[in-house]
Amino acid sequence: MTNHWIDLRNADVILAMGSNPASNHPVSMKWVMKCKEKGGKLISVDPRFTQTSAKADLYAPLRSGTDIAFLGGMINYIIEKNLYFKEYVVNYTNAAFLINPDFRGPADLDGLFSGYDAKTRKYDKATWSYQKDENGIALKDPTLQDPNCVFQLLKKQYTRYTLDKVSSITGTPKDKLVAVYELYGSTGKPDRVGTECYAMGWTQHTVGTQNIRTMAIIQLLLGNVGMAGGGVNAMRGESNVQGSTDQGILFHILTGYNPTPNAALVDLATYIEKTTPTTKEPGGVNWWSNRPKYITSYLKAIYGEAATKENDFGYAWLPKLEVGQNCSWLNLFDAMLKGQFEGFFAWGQNPACSGANSNKTRAALGKLKWMVNVNLFDNETGSFWRGPGMNPAEIQTEVFMLPCVSSVEKEGSISNSGRLAQWRYKAVEPIGQARADAEILNDLHFAVKELYKKEGGAYPDPIVNLTWDYGEKDAAGKVKHVDVHKVAKEINGYYTADVYDTKVDPPKLIGKKGDLVTSFALLQADGSTSCGNWIYCNSYILKDGKEVNMMARRGKEDPTGLGLYPNWAWTWPVNRRVIYNRASVDLNGNPWDPKRPLLKWNATDKKWEGDIVDGGPPPVAVSGKLPFIMKPDGVASIFGPGLAEGPFPEHYEALECPLEENSMSKQRINPTIKIFGGESDAFFSCDLRYPYVASTYRVSEHWQTGVKTRHCPWLLEMQPQNFCEMSIELGKELGIKNGDMVKVSSARGEVQAVAMVTERFKPFNLANQTVHQIGLTWHFGWQFPEDGSGFDSANMLTPNVGDANTMIPESKAFMVNVRKA
Amino acid sequence: MAEMVQKESGGAILNHWALAISCILLMITGFAFLFHLEWIGSVFGGFNTMKTVHNWVGVIFSVSLVFTMFQYLGDSLKYDADDAQWFKVAGGYLSHKVKVPPMGKHNPGQKLYYLGIALFGLLIALSGFGIWLMKENTTIMLLSHLVHNVAFVFFCIMVPVHIYLSTLANPGTLPIMLSGKVPLALAKKRYPKWVKAMGKM
Amino acid sequence: MANNTKNRKAILVTPELCIGCRACQVSCKSWNQLPGIKTHNSGTYQNPPDLSNTAFNLINFIEMPSQENPARWLFVSRRCMHCDDAGCMKICPAAGAIYRTPEGAVAFDSDKCVACKLCVNACPFDVPRYNDQGKMSKCHLCFDRIGSGMEPACTKTCPTGALKYGDRDELVKTAKVDGFSTIYGENDLGGLGAVYAFKEAPKLYGMKENPVIPSSVIFWHKYLKPLSWIGLGGVVAAAAIHYLAIGPHKDEEV
Ligand code: HEM
Ligand code: HEM
Ligand code: SF4
Ligand code: SF4
Ligand code: SF4
Ligand code: SF4
Repeated sequence: MTNHWIDLRNADVILAMGSNPASNHPVSMKWVMKCKEKGGKLISVDPRFTQTSAKADLYAPLRSGTDIAFLGGMINYIIEKNLYFKEYVVNYTNAAFLINPDFRGPADLDGLFSGYDAKTRKYDKATWSYQKDENGIALKDPTLQDPNCVFQLLKKQYTRYTLDKVSSITGTPKDKLVAVYELYGSTGKPDRVGTECYAMGWTQHTVGTQNIRTMAIIQLLLGNVGMAGGGVNAMRGESNVQGSTDQGILFHILTGYNPTPNAALVDLATYIEKTTPTTKEPGGVNWWSNRPKYITSYLKAIYGEAATKENDFGYAWLPKLEVGQNCSWLNLFDAMLKGQFEGFFAWGQNPACSGANSNKTRAALGKLKWMVNVNLFDNETGSFWRGPGMNPAEIQTEVFMLPCVSSVEKEGSISNSGRLAQWRYKAVEPIGQARADAEILNDLHFAVKELYKKEGGAYPDPIVNLTWDYGEKDAAGKVKHVDVHKVAKEINGYYTADVYDTKVDPPKLIGKKGDLVTSFALLQADGSTSCGNWIYCNSYILKDGKEVNMMARRGKEDPTGLGLYPNWAWTWPVNRRVIYNRASVDLNGNPWDPKRPLLKWNATDKKWEGDIVDGGPPPVAVSGKLPFIMKPDGVASIFGPGLAEGPFPEHYEALECPLEENSMSKQRINPTIKIFGGESDAFFSCDLRYPYVASTYRVSEHWQTGVKTRHCPWLLEMQPQNFCEMSIELGKELGIKNGDMVKVSSARGEVQAVAMVTERFKPFNLANQTVHQIGLTWHFGWQFPEDGSGFDSANMLTPNVGDANTMIPESKAFMVNVRKA
Repeated sequence: MAEMVQKESGGAILNHWALAISCILLMITGFAFLFHLEWIGSVFGGFNTMKTVHNWVGVIFSVSLVFTMFQYLGDSLKYDADDAQWFKVAGGYLSHKVKVPPMGKHNPGQKLYYLGIALFGLLIALSGFGIWLMKENTTIMLLSHLVHNVAFVFFCIMVPVHIYLSTLANPGTLPIMLSGKVPLALAKKRYPKWVKAMGKM
Repeated sequence: MANNTKNRKAILVTPELCIGCRACQVSCKSWNQLPGIKTHNSGTYQNPPDLSNTAFNLINFIEMPSQENPARWLFVSRRCMHCDDAGCMKICPAAGAIYRTPEGAVAFDSDKCVACKLCVNACPFDVPRYNDQGKMSKCHLCFDRIGSGMEPACTKTCPTGALKYGDRDELVKTAKVDGFSTIYGENDLGGLGAVYAFKEAPKLYGMKENPVIPSSVIFWHKYLKPLSWIGLGGVVAAAAIHYLAIGPHKDEEV
């Protein structure tokens, strides 16, 4: 989230698209309803009339997988009707920047951008660049008239997204499109703000990232980013998913979103040179220019004393990706199926049900020598070898079950979608043999370290040099119990030497060796500070000689009245509640909307008042520094060359879709996605055998694959079985009545469910065909309830094809058949 | 010792007291239910046991009621001119001066009393079983509840009258229900037609 | 009844704010430690299908046609209404089995319940439910929580304010100020302890239009009950008078 949960109440218009917060983020609805009570409007755009739609002031249906068409139409509408916030667009975005005249877009190249190579399914992005003057500063046209300026290119691409065209793709009635565009477009006025809430409804598409990009462009056009009540807000699917990405759980990033080194980045200097952005733009703060400090402090945190200037702070010990290697989920399991893994830790997850194309996932597990299942309960993963269609005699995988404790049985922090890290205490003692993950890791760590010490191994250094200073040690040097506070402090960072401010004379002591660092602004690139995760620096600080866990704070003050609650727990970065908040004020530092003064420049005292200001510099008129400090140019990217499929989002159909062609262009599917070609990777478009669009989703009562929730009888009572929602019309066509048992099948598998035949789902009337859509929950699995009454996971059906940037599987739009069971 | 005649058989006596005691128990517990009389409840060790007692004593009452049918029903349905006259003089209860016509084994007051007991006893028993055993049916439950209580009102009024008349109001009646016998002299006075019918007069 | 007092507490249900998340159902089960019910999906989100002895509250999912949208979907919380004039209390034959708390809640005591199952028949809202032993249970407004100054588990959990707990007068007043034209239960049955704020006709939300206690129960309560002791007392008195004024039959007179 750019903003935070409570901030939803500050909006004038909330667009819930790609999400169903009433079912899946019910607590967020607290703030949505507060917003409505104050006169705010809620728009729900969803293939199905959901619990959120039931609360919406305006509902519009759309066929799964056509969000870009829907939103592209909105961009067109906003530009055509002049609804954009011009002052914001000109000053705070790259709309005025001139693009390489050789750049071509989908309007010219029938759905493609310049630089496409059909063989590699990749773009050469050379033309996706700015025109620059001799000093390397981008050329700009603040009048936005130059045909090569971003704004004109944007306009050119999206004039094709007419109401008729969009409606014929999305199946949304035109009057609904106009109503949504009109209402959301009304937030382009300085004193009106709109926010967007998305979740897996946007990410789980082959065009997932671009769905979000399209919205980001809209938010920038309307001047809604950085504002209280604005932003593009990812509603995370798990309570601590934000924490997991922050802490570098993904393969392509280390902590704090520093990229994972690859084989070409041979040493620290090269890594820094190649990954640290530079800019010649005078307005660019370019915060990432601090990368050297962050990566060095990170290395100091993990390798401690062993990390020295001489050995590149142990950079060589970091694991490296091959250049271009993608180790995301789908690829890992593809490799597992090919027998490229010996072992696998399924830690706090249930891949046999959570991964797209479960049959492939389950088959892959059978290729392992061993698997360790760390979970609260045994699940479909740990028991995969005795699951449906498996022959235990043929499976050699040895499975170990390590029972772990639940979040309430241990102390620690959780970072929510609003980047709020909250410290939790241990509520109850664990039961049975269950142990905290940290304790399991602790044992594992020392066991492996011991082995490396004893037997040497191929490359022991990364392991034997790891710091592990998490508690009191026994005689053998092994940490007895992990003290999570020590982990938190390591993440925050310490001074590893006395650090002086050398700009003053005599040099002033900033921090004493061994003390906690108070802010990432004080981190050093010379190894005199350590910091496990720079964005969490300031979360555990030294105040008046005492160590203070900022995440454990429980202050209830709300000085701005905007619900920032700055003394409640702690938000990264440096407790800033709304990021890019300097974009909420005009060039002079006065809030665009005086009713929602997130920030205000006090010209007399020369300081900012309100939220913690982003980056720190005074207003643009005073400092010349632009608000988007994480972007090298200081402005937000309407033109965003970073993504695989193009600098502007373009509508492509899902890999499996009901249409012979994409009426937007000749390019039917995302040209840059990776398509697996294996036997188990089947997909069928426009195939009579699989005529219906399907989507998977969640319900309030269950969590993810349901391992935690299916074992709770209270929750199972409310949602006992997998169900399949469909329209009355489709029910009639197939002779299926409400409550009947059905079998749903795709090119990859089949699953049973109870039919829920409802008015809430309607067929989509497209250009010259009617498309039916169904939906299923994916919370169930064969292993529990033990009688199989819940049925299996809907991921039996989903395709293992991913977004071109993130490889998040397309489980929101694929093709199935339904028949009475 | 004066000569005695047998008015009630041993079985009839036994049944009368079964009926009487169960009825009084039911009324007492019934009152406790109606007015939440916890002191009565505590005699039974709480309302739960009291409920069980009420229900099972109800069974005794019902069975006993059925037996009374064989004893009194036939007789209670026969009325003659003397019975009509009996009503005119109100059984002689309002004044000792009036002339009460000669009576059979039971006077019409007793006969009517029995009919009342039989009818309302049946109603209260049936409705009681309705409440007890037909819990799933709202109509039956509500109807039974109403009937049970209408009948209860009848019992509240009639039972004390009966007790009074069989004891204080008519000295010498009670022993009939204790021994079954009544002195012939007394019987000749009170139940002349019955004595005649037996051929003793 | 003596419960329209100033400090009468109530739950205000505002279906307009309800999102159907059913946290209320879980929290009630959790606080009361009620076991889960083995259910199946019958083509609706609503589950369990009805209130039960182990489900004191329930969200009714009501789907109905709409002009604007594919459907209208209403979520309406159901539970004991804590009637001021409570049919269940009236009819209950067991002393203390159903009782009124100082806050105005209609609570129950399973130990005292004699399992006669009369109460559900006298309840205008079909609320009381029974366990295997026939003992009654239902929402008790968390008498144990509110009695010690906490709010009920369900209202505490409700994220949106669709369930609110507080002083009854206060809740009714604010609901009116907030523009809810119909306050269901404001005056019905002497005033309900669970009041609903509606902008449309209560019938739409599946609410009974004129909730009343069955007339037979009223009749019994008003007339029969007094008649039974008046009758008894009257007859005993009459007998005494008769005995004194007229005196018993003397056999000589015959
Ligand atoms: C403790 C109190 C009672 C006493 C002393 C008592 C005494 C008597 C006596 C003496 C008779 C015989 C009268 C006769 O043969 O002329 C009689 C008859 C009878 N009693 Fe009771 N009784 C009592 C309670 C009850 C009760 C509670 C019932 C119940 C419902 C009852 C039902 C009857 C019936 C049905 C008869 C049959 C004759 C008739 O029609 O009167 N008695 N009782
Ligand atoms: C002379 C006979 C009876 C009298 C006077 C009597 C009276 C009463 C009264 C006053 C109540 C409580 C009022 C109410 O809440 O309804 C009651 C309840 C009840 N009675 Fe009776 N009753 C009699 C016989 C029976 C019989 C024969 C049965 C059947 C077996 C029965 C079964 C019940 C039941 C089931 C209740 C409901 C309360 C409970 O279950 O404890 N009663 N009775
Ligand atoms: S709703 Fe029913 S159970 Fe609840 S107090 Fe009223 S009558 Fe009693
Ligand atoms: S079932 Fe229990 S609570 Fe209900 S009326 Fe009977 S005794 Fe009272
Ligand atoms: S008030 Fe208490 S008992 Fe009643 S429904 Fe709510 S949580 Fe359950
Ligand atoms: S907790 Fe509140 S919002 Fe959720 S279902 Fe219950 S009443 Fe509705």
